[in-house]
Amino acid sequence: MARWFLRGLRRGVVTTRYPHRPDPEAARVPTPPAFDPARLTGALADQLVAVCPSGALERRGDTLVLDVGACTACQRCLPVAGAAGRPSGVFECAATDRDRLRVAIPIRGQHR
Amino acid sequence: MTRLLTPSPSDPAVAPTADQLRAQVGRLFGRSLYIRTVDTGSCAACESEIRLLAAPHYDLHRLGFFFTPAPRHADLLMVTGPGTTGMAHALRATHAAMPDPKVVVAVGACALGGVYRQADDLTHGGVTGLLPVDVLIPGCPPSPLALLQGLLVAVGRLAERIEPARFRIEGAEAP
Repeated sequence: MARWFLRGLRRGVVTTRYPHRPDPEAARVPTPPAFDPARLTGALADQLVAVCPSGALERRGDTLVLDVGACTACQRCLPVAGAAGRPSGVFECAATDRDRLRVAIPIRGQHR
Repeated sequence: MTRLLTPSPSDPAVAPTADQLRAQVGRLFGRSLYIRTVDTGSCAACESEIRLLAAPHYDLHRLGFFFTPAPRHADLLMVTGPGTTGMAHALRATHAAMPDPKVVVAVGACALGGVYRQADDLTHGGVTGLLPVDVLIPGCPPSPLALLQGLLVAVGRLAERIEPARFRIEGAEAP
């Protein structure tokens, strides 16, 4: 059972206080990935681009471009990325410009 | 100027921003900002999340947002789906029927052109090519919290469009 429902029974209020207060349930929302530039190698970037089913990742030279607008937060890139990737935890992504949803991640990892 | 109105939840300064927003919506729209939703071929996941906004947990009405079936009464147009060619005319007609000032919010990866990249015989590859989109809410589907944040950003855009009423007489000139 959802925790917010039990909390609501205890307090008598089920309604979230967002945006007045952060919603604790927001941590359980699937979010786009975040990659660590220091651990991101060119080979890994190519693997990530290949595994992304929605084409949200694109390699442009020394940067990996993540299109948050196309990302479906399926998180299939996370097992591939290993320590280089994690869920970003950012669900407040609304933008007023399409280009603001694109993030260029520099590839700084060394080839071993 | 575009301001992101809601900082991330870890930001301790969330509360005053939320209060300002509530006051802003209240002042501009008398706590009644009406939303019209149009589905242009989405899988209904986005609609499911939009419907959840009116459920007791999110309770959109506490912030002064309401849904309306009539575009003539709407201040905000929420569009989901990749913009199918069959819905293009209906979408444009809905937008045209809305009174000014109005904002268009594209909801979900399809509407943002993230799923169907290119326009073809069936879709326009997102609604950004069909209408002037003001706010884009990514996600597949976006969670109700993300939708709520997007709506608050849209209120900021709407606030920019409000002009003080000007007294005008045909043919008269400024002194």
